[in-house]
Amino acid sequence: MKTILTDFLRKALTSGSVTSVMVPSRGPESSFPWTLVTDVSALSQAEPVPPVMSIQGAKALASFTQSETEGKLLAVMRPCEARAAVELSKLKQVSLQNIIFLTMDCPGAVPLMEYRRDNDMETDITTPDTLRPLCRQCTEFTSTGDLCLAMHGGLNSVLPLTPEGQILLDSLGIKPESDTSAWKEWTASLRSEREAISVESTKSLKDAYSGLEGLIEVFSGCISCRSCRTVCPICYCRLCFIDMKDRRSPASEYLERSRSSGSARLMPDTLLFHIGRMAHMSLSCVSCGMCEDACPSDIPVGRLVSMVSAGTTAVFDYRAGSDPEDPLPLNTFRMEELHEYED
Amino acid sequence: MNTKTRVLVSASSHQDTLKDALAALIEKGDIDAVFALGETKQKGRYCYSLITDPSLVRKTLPFHPVMPVQGARALSDMTITRSFDRPVAALLRPCEIRAFVENVKQSQGSLENIFIISCTCPGVIPASELHREDRSDVLANRTENIRKACRVCTEFIPGQQADMTVLIASDEPNDSTVIYLNTERSVEIASKLESPSLKTAPPLPELTSGILESRSKSLKDMIREIPAPEDGLQSLVSLFSACIGCRGCREACPLCSCILCDYETARTQHSPELIRTESKRKGSVRVPSGTIQFQLGRLMHISPVCTACGQCSDVCPADIPVADIFIRAAYLVQQSLDYTPGRDTDDTPPMATYIEKELLDITD
Repeated sequence: MKTILTDFLRKALTSGSVTSVMVPSRGPESSFPWTLVTDVSALSQAEPVPPVMSIQGAKALASFTQSETEGKLLAVMRPCEARAAVELSKLKQVSLQNIIFLTMDCPGAVPLMEYRRDNDMETDITTPDTLRPLCRQCTEFTSTGDLCLAMHGGLNSVLPLTPEGQILLDSLGIKPESDTSAWKEWTASLRSEREAISVESTKSLKDAYSGLEGLIEVFSGCISCRSCRTVCPICYCRLCFIDMKDRRSPASEYLERSRSSGSARLMPDTLLFHIGRMAHMSLSCVSCGMCEDACPSDIPVGRLVSMVSAGTTAVFDYRAGSDPEDPLPLNTFRMEELHEYED
Repeated sequence: MNTKTRVLVSASSHQDTLKDALAALIEKGDIDAVFALGETKQKGRYCYSLITDPSLVRKTLPFHPVMPVQGARALSDMTITRSFDRPVAALLRPCEIRAFVENVKQSQGSLENIFIISCTCPGVIPASELHREDRSDVLANRTENIRKACRVCTEFIPGQQADMTVLIASDEPNDSTVIYLNTERSVEIASKLESPSLKTAPPLPELTSGILESRSKSLKDMIREIPAPEDGLQSLVSLFSACIGCRGCREACPLCSCILCDYETARTQHSPELIRTESKRKGSVRVPSGTIQFQLGRLMHISPVCTACGQCSDVCPADIPVADIFIRAAYLVQQSLDYTPGRDTDDTPPMATYIEKELLDITD
């Protein structure tokens, strides 16, 4: 997978069909930082599908594409990263103009901390039980973006998914495999396998933490480090609502809060923060699992947000990241909707 | 010279002694609330709470060897707009007191009406160890398992802000609980308690010199291991290469109190145009940019006041030894500025003090 993708990038860059490439590269200390590459020789360090997701690709992309890029940029990303980029374009944080997304049959990623503590972990991951919990239940593991490297069902071919993808393949003189039936069978079968895991995981989460009491319990270990928010590709606000100065209370109010139930937990407003974050980003959540990877308290925050997201997106019949033209539900006014949620 | 200090002695454990005393003080109306650690509904997860119900005070875990949130951060959050108008007892570790004193100097909190109970600190266990199945073993063998920042901590005796100091870390094991009464108000509070007896004891440094010696040695060893300026920028680049930009180190730091960090502003963030230009010039650049800029910037802002609590390393999901770097830098910076953070609210912070002739030895 690494060789095919890197060769593809090399070819695209050398031919001049694209002027830059965004790809993870091998850094010091077993790290895989994202790199924006213009010199083909730098691709010798490329690791297009590293064992870990150190920074969500869409977040890396948003750092330099708020304005339109000059010349074509080819971004190699996991499907969830490309989908987050689509959501960020709707939120005006990424300009999709001139960006071509190349994804792959994603093998998933291993938990960051486990990898950091055990560098011997296979780079070519990944048996299902070493994957991050959200990767294990991911059903959107392929066929995203403009091009997708299909590696299963006897295929070994970059397939075009959009006209832009087709144009790039044509300019490189690459003929994609035409018989994709076995690969499609593989995707369908893995998808149904993953769906079953997802149902099971959602059920066990709901059983373990139902209702407000359950939420209080599951977030009881939260230390308010806000890493879930910072690493989330969708949480892009420079200053989050929870950190606003006017939300501060005088000490006497903390005493009041404490008197009402005998004790007040600190830092305050843990649930307000997590529920607020879910309210703000769950419609655009791509279930990438970055929040869960970054949590130093080992809270299944990614699985929880992803579960909530499945519910909220169903209400609006919306699929995060699937079509750049689909408007964000919260930006769309409809006179008649959601009557079933009225009193 | 008085070489003996007034102490309370109790036959029960320090946790029971403190819980009983604090619950009794709330019941009698001498204090309104207690700021203390407790376990949450989930095993192995802890939090600070502000407790007004005496029966809940009895469920706390005073000086349990964990630090889920730096205590100063929680106290600052409560007292930043207005100080407590009623007396509150706060159980704090020495590094938490020092950090809070720095908060107060920077107008980020108020010590008013806070009665501080501290301890000679044996250190705390890293959070990641507490999430493991075998956490009871980890807690049982605590001296081997404490944070690296704790192993090199030489400031484990609280300063003058502590009204009471519980002798926990000491060279010789103690059969009874000994609580030092450092201030007049602590003597007054102690006189209201029934059971424990008032005695005198040798000053704390005499009972902990062995710990100080071994920690000082560990500190020197650690400082030698950390990249030095002469190792060049590349050593820092390597060290922080795995940084995922989660900013957990900054959020968990009790001294990083800005509402909006300098490194989240448009002023310091690199423009898309600059990043693309640099990529063309160098052939390849890391994105997002600014990893080292953020770390160096935070080091610059925090090292004069860092109290070496180790929270930054504890929260790092990429297992980067952030605190080691900060402890080393803070050690050198504070030495050259002749500043001890947290010593006294009247010491002016070096960055807020203009001295016409200073640091001549490090200018060109």
